[in-house]
Amino acid sequence: MSMQAREEILGRLKSVRKNTPAARPAKPVLSEINLDKEQLLQRFTSELNAQTGAVYQAKDKEDAVRILSEIASAEGLKSILATSGHIYGVDIRAFGSQNNISVSTVQDFSDRNAFRELAFAVDAGITSADFAVAETGTLGVIFYKDQPRLVSIAPPVHIAIVPVDKLYPVYENVIEQVFKDTNKIPSQFCFITGPSSTTDIKGVHFKGMHGPVKIFVIFIMTGGIGHENSDGPGKTMVR
Amino acid sequence: MFLKLFCSGFSMMRQFALSSFPDPEAAESYSRSIRAEVLERLPELLEEFEKKAISRGVKVIWARDAAEANNIILDIARQKGVQYVTKGKSMITEEIGLNEHLIKNGVDVYETDLGEVITQQLGLPPFHLVGPAINVPPEKISDIFLKNGILKEPTTDPVALGKAARMYLREKFRTQEMGIVGVNMAVAETGSFINVENEGNIRMNKSSPKTLVAIMSLEKLVPTLADAIHMTRILIRNCTGQKMTSYVSFDTGPKKPDELDGPEDVYVVILDNGRSEIYKDLKVRDILKCIRCGACMNTCPVYARIGGYPYGFTYTGPMGQAINPLLWGIENTTDLYRACTLCGSCRKTCPAGVDHPFLFLEYRSREIRKKNAKGNRTLLSRLENTIAAISSFGMRQGRAWILGVRCVRPLLNFLSKDGYIRDIPFGVQGWFGCRDLTAMPDKTFHERWKDLQNEPVPLADTAKKDVI
Repeated sequence: MSMQAREEILGRLKSVRKNTPAARPAKPVLSEINLDKEQLLQRFTSELNAQTGAVYQAKDKEDAVRILSEIASAEGLKSILATSGHIYGVDIRAFGSQNNISVSTVQDFSDRNAFRELAFAVDAGITSADFAVAETGTLGVIFYKDQPRLVSIAPPVHIAIVPVDKLYPVYENVIEQVFKDTNKIPSQFCFITGPSSTTDIKGVHFKGMHGPVKIFVIFIMTGGIGHENSDGPGKTMVR
Repeated sequence: MFLKLFCSGFSMMRQFALSSFPDPEAAESYSRSIRAEVLERLPELLEEFEKKAISRGVKVIWARDAAEANNIILDIARQKGVQYVTKGKSMITEEIGLNEHLIKNGVDVYETDLGEVITQQLGLPPFHLVGPAINVPPEKISDIFLKNGILKEPTTDPVALGKAARMYLREKFRTQEMGIVGVNMAVAETGSFINVENEGNIRMNKSSPKTLVAIMSLEKLVPTLADAIHMTRILIRNCTGQKMTSYVSFDTGPKKPDELDGPEDVYVVILDNGRSEIYKDLKVRDILKCIRCGACMNTCPVYARIGGYPYGFTYTGPMGQAINPLLWGIENTTDLYRACTLCGSCRKTCPAGVDHPFLFLEYRSREIRKKNAKGNRTLLSRLENTIAAISSFGMRQGRAWILGVRCVRPLLNFLSKDGYIRDIPFGVQGWFGCRDLTAMPDKTFHERWKDLQNEPVPLADTAKKDVI
């Protein structure tokens, strides 16, 4: 039935005389591509702050654990689901044991339903992010075996760890890399910008509709763009 | 008042968001050129998308009309043995009446977009493309949520109501086996489909269940990923006045075997429902450029006063006035394309390059031509034609016009009562059904002007200092 429908529909569409599409105008320029590394970080931070997301700069992996501990304490986290025991070298299990937090990782699961149950039960999900985009304070996340989708959408808090050298000016920089190798296109790729939100009742805006209520992004600055003198966590946080 | 504020507020946010482009006009001009190209290349882009999507493991199914699409999705639900499905907001499923069809056949449907949850519970049609329940008072939402066990204590706080819906739907997301979503864009280059959202319900629907059905109307294509990125920027700015929504997800095939979540089966239903016939109609097919951003509604002076319900169809505002006549018949939708001042604000706002007023004029013209076609002529249409021919002659002959006006004025005033003409004979009751005509003054403007020339010019009252 579908094949017959296909032939009928395409037949009708193809019966129309095709004109050569008009030449497109020049592609609009994007101002973000001219930002230097310092400005990219500032832009990312201000954009995500505007969405109530908090941005931290960790001097190194140990500093990232300290920042995670601060977030966990402030948010009262008791249980977390992480995409790995080590995310970009940050020891998530050590962070858990230091703070008396129950840590589960994706590798602990082989059963889909058990994993889903836990994703909806934990206080927070900790993931890596493959990219960050300064344009709008956006994370780019490729979903695959070690990065399941629910960790960044089901728990009420999402914490993402990303090396600062993964920060790019605009979406195009990211999309080119994600889809470059046609044999390695992920089943899903997602841009994440702030917590989930809605304005559906009387236009009143609030964060935390179905996905996370809060989002925290920790940049690992090691080998990065020279923010060693950062005042530490909370510096750029919006509360 | 709320509606006016809502529409003007959205328009201001849109302008602000567009100003983030170094050259907003160039950005919109580029998006219009993408949509124009899509229309020219539609069959080849559809074939390319289908080929790429299938090569990624997607099951692509074509549906000629609403009934076919509804049955395809019902069959999938039955085949998977699901008791209920959850749905992301999708206007195309509203167009085909999918919810009603599934429920009638024993499959429960849970809307998951907050606005759609409210309209589903209240049994209301969508009020706005982007905010389907934006007009519903919190008191009403509280009442229905209490009645249906979503809320425990009454509240009019929008945040508390939203959180109650969150808790209610988390249970559905946690156990769902099949999700249904619409499609914002389908990328021919890669066979990917893209969803743009803020709430996270679409991501839930694309992550939690084992089966995912994405339904798209056949014009939702973009040629390349680069085009998709540009259109995403444009769509979001025009849709919600944001620079970026919380989530933009790109799906290319089902989950890989070693992945813990995501759909094992992905179906993409490509729906025609009259669009291939519209495509053949070169004069009006530009409506297929529409990207469903809703910007035309927010700028429309008529929509800002009456809202979505009076349109009587799923698609409201100028885009609805433009597409509904083609979907449901020009003769069945007369009020839509006539209830327009032709101010052109929608055309100026449209980032896809749809010329709505041109379409309305074309529909009006087609309606009249159909009425005047041989065999369709009625006494009324003959009378209208005669009056139009006489008026046309008069307008071209100055003296004849003056003579005609002199004759008609006393005739009309003969029918007036208390300064108003409330009806005239010969079948124009329709016009007088909802309005009166003020009685004609005794003299025309020219006659009064002529008389004034003979009157002395009144002198300024020198006693009053403020009179110059």
